Amino acid sequence: MIGHMITQNVLHRPVRTLITVIGVAVEVTLVILVVGLTTGLLTESAKRTEGVGADIMIQPPSASIWAAFSGAPMPISIAGRLRGLDYVQAVAPVLVQFNSVNGLDVVYGIEPSSFRAVSGGFVFHSGHDLENTDDILVDDVYAKGKRVKTGQTLHILGHDYKVAGIVEHGKGARLFVLMSGLQEMSGAIDKASIFFVKCDRSDHTPAATDEIRGLLPGYEIRPLKDFISLMTSSNLPGLSAFINVMISIAVAIGFLVIFLSMYTTIIERTREIGVLKSLGASKGYIVDIILSETALLCGFGTVFGVGLSFLMRWVFTSIFPSMTILILPKWIVFSALIAICGGLLGAAYPAWVASRKDPVEALAYE
Amino acid sequence: MEPILKTENLWKVYRTGKVEVPALRGVDVEVLPGEFVSIMGPSGCGKSTLLHVIGGLAQATRGRVLLDGNDLTTMSDSARTLLRRHKVGFVFQRFNLLPTLDAYHNIALAQHIHGNGFDPHRFEVVANLLGLSQRLHHKPSELSGGEQQRVAIARAIISEPKIVLADEPTGNLDTKSSEAVLSLLRQLNKELGQTIVMITHNPDAATYGNRVLHMRDGMVVNGSTVH
Repeated sequence: MIGHMITQNVLHRPVRTLITVIGVAVEVTLVILVVGLTTGLLTESAKRTEGVGADIMIQPPSASIWAAFSGAPMPISIAGRLRGLDYVQAVAPVLVQFNSVNGLDVVYGIEPSSFRAVSGGFVFHSGHDLENTDDILVDDVYAKGKRVKTGQTLHILGHDYKVAGIVEHGKGARLFVLMSGLQEMSGAIDKASIFFVKCDRSDHTPAATDEIRGLLPGYEIRPLKDFISLMTSSNLPGLSAFINVMISIAVAIGFLVIFLSMYTTIIERTREIGVLKSLGASKGYIVDIILSETALLCGFGTVFGVGLSFLMRWVFTSIFPSMTILILPKWIVFSALIAICGGLLGAAYPAWVASRKDPVEALAYE
Repeated sequence: MEPILKTENLWKVYRTGKVEVPALRGVDVEVLPGEFVSIMGPSGCGKSTLLHVIGGLAQATRGRVLLDGNDLTTMSDSARTLLRRHKVGFVFQRFNLLPTLDAYHNIALAQHIHGNGFDPHRFEVVANLLGLSQRLHHKPSELSGGEQQRVAIARAIISEPKIVLADEPTGNLDTKSSEAVLSLLRQLNKELGQTIVMITHNPDAATYGNRVLHMRDGMVVNGSTVH
């Protein structure tokens, strides 16, 4: 009976229902996309780092896992010492710079031969490898998003580079230049930000790690699989706080939408509440109706919001191919819970008001 | 025979700021089981207030209201709600059907609130008695005034209340529909023994009951038996 009643109530005011559902959907979409975007960014970044093909990653002492924020304080001569170790097959020093001109991009300055030894080399879609300090390689995702072609000029890090080739994505950064040129531009002569180390066998990684720790005490030496597991929002300064703030905003939106919707509903249905009370409906019965209707609206809003999230993901990734948005089942469930709990909280006061209406006054309400 | 309804020196005083308005001033009323009592009086004499207090919708200021042996004046709001659910059926001048539900669900709602579940046999009996079988799947906006009031009466009696309180049940109806509704109430009283208290300002409507009480200025001034 209550199910039928609330369904009819919801259908009776289709515009109000639609607006309420959209409000909740926006809340759900916001949560899913914000988390999806940040998780996608982290996961995609981790995948690309993994794609370099190294077994161990070396950074300077106390370096952030976010290499772009770490500068270039390590002498490049470390590479030679690393190559002399047992279990080490190849070492690729990389200089990392963060470009904020014409977008936000991480640029790897590499030695083509050593990078090839670790990563197995680039897969070229067009063009050729780096030959001089004005050459730049871009990955196919960057090229598609920015409509870049081989031979085109790109203004990166305040310097004009010529696109020498377009390569398959997944090898660390999206942009690659010669390390020597980048060192000169950034004043980091003979310096590197990261050393990627490939072991002769992957099961020698722990032993190689120990060796390197002995050689370079105090340095951040991480097997790459450990590094990948560190790529979470809690390890990026401020990201967890950002996610929490966005979720709080989303909850506030849902709360307010539902509060306003149900408050206007109970005012509109004052006489009906009086009728229910005259029939002997208890306060709990009336609260049950209001909260059940709220749960139904939040349910519709959640379903719509999840659908909208997938649609928005398709839209964003079509416009920005380099963007990765991961829609995780766990966060679909969590956003549904947030929507429903926020909605029930928003409806609590209107439900309380409704349950306490004087039946005589309610019956006389025009 | 014990009265099904009894009021003793019943007062209801409304306070608006410092102003006190006594709507009921020492009302003494008794209604026996199976009676059909009409309460007449001019506008503002306290008829509706009396109905609300004896039905447990409003709390008396002082005095006693005994409904089927239960003293409403000592009960909490929750207790009065419970009593109203099981022992009182209301019929209103403006029908007060839920507009989003069809006739069927408006009547079934009362059974649902009553808590004993849906009784299809009782439902069928009431629907047939009130001539609603062909109109059950229409919403109030699709029913005439007379039909709506019949749905309201069905809703009021579906759970077999001890007493039906009708507040100007023909106030919004034309003459023909009014006669039909009043005849139905009389039929419920005579054939089913349903106790009814009806508020009306219409002397003709009052004759459908078997006793008439007159009110003025918050008091019952006289009563008479309808022959």
